[in-house]
Amino acid sequence: MEQPASFDDQLASLLPRLRRFAHSLSRDSADADDLTQAAIERALKSRDQWQPGTRLDSWAYRIMRNLWIDTARARSRKSAREAPEEEGLNVGEDPREAMDASLDLRRMMTAMGRLPDEQREVVSLILVEGFGYREVSEMLGLPIGTVSSRLVRGRTALLAMVGER
Amino acid sequence: MNEDEKFFAWLDGELAPADAAEMEAKVAADPKLKQLADQHRALGAQLRGAFDPIAAAPMPEHLQAALRPSAKVIDFAAAKRARTMPSLPQWAAMAATLALGVFVGTMVPQRTSDPVEVQGGKIYAAAALDHALGAQLASAPAGDVRIGVTFRDQSGAICRSFTAQTSSGLACRSGGKWQVKGLFAAPEGQGSDYRMAAGMDPNLASLVDSTMAGEPFDAAQERASKDHGWK
Repeated sequence: MEQPASFDDQLASLLPRLRRFAHSLSRDSADADDLTQAAIERALKSRDQWQPGTRLDSWAYRIMRNLWIDTARARSRKSAREAPEEEGLNVGEDPREAMDASLDLRRMMTAMGRLPDEQREVVSLILVEGFGYREVSEMLGLPIGTVSSRLVRGRTALLAMVGER
Repeated sequence: MNEDEKFFAWLDGELAPADAAEMEAKVAADPKLKQLADQHRALGAQLRGAFDPIAAAPMPEHLQAALRPSAKVIDFAAAKRARTMPSLPQWAAMAATLALGVFVGTMVPQRTSDPVEVQGGKIYAAAALDHALGAQLASAPAGDVRIGVTFRDQSGAICRSFTAQTSSGLACRSGGKWQVKGLFAAPEGQGSDYRMAAGMDPNLASLVDSTMAGEPFDAAQERASKDHGWK
């Protein structure tokens, strides 16, 4: 019989998705990578609390989300203090495609950043990360109706911000 | 679920087949709804197009390194300090982490008073739990208790769900105190930091569902409600 993948291997394979989730929660890539690193470290430290047989991804996402909430205060102080960043920081030596991708990313991160936290996390988990309503309801400890109504408000606001190109 | 929510649930493939067929027909017959569906499908594609490259990009070395057992332990705050103060020697950040570990370690077993008290056959929050329920916002957790959702029950009283280290529960405002409506122990083996590792206990989730009237408060409502003394 094949050995089930170890905790470490599973966590390693989740890393790209966790980093994507961090980007949709954070205001810039540096914050996103700090959050990713903090979540990995917290997951490694708390590994005994994960119950084998349950989903590691939900567990790890939840750790990241809680860390993100924990830094909410510091985050809002920081963004009130700092002027918005200049556009185009990531523009490298052309490849046109790479540049477009990073501008899209900046634009979406800015728009997501203008959503209230409780809408942003739901939009991110369902529309970017592809979780189902029930999974998100369990992950966030919210009734499913709340997940659904926050998602409606969040995606409606987001469409108003970025829909017209 | 209202019609808006039903429409989006359909769009996300979350409706049962019969409901989905009904919504499908409704959208097909309504050009405005059809346009809305297209716009939101395009929004979903834009979101994935913006964020998916992150998951496909090579992983930065320091994040790879964080997974290795020999990796240095740096907490989030220390990583930020290191970023804003590049001249700070690495060992200082590590020492700060160690000090935090020792501090937390000595705090935990010294809990001196019980989180609940019984009066007239009813259970009320006390000590740290009472304080957290009265003072803490879900967006700004502090200490051992994490606040979940805040909402009004059918009688209009404010209720808040909470998760402590080994248990979770629901308390509602009654006579100027927090009456505990339900308290659930953490599952076996999840004792030491339940509030970080677990989602809502299914028993608590159904208690919340059956108690709640309307919607849970958003962050602004929660703060306003605190400012009004949870009335």
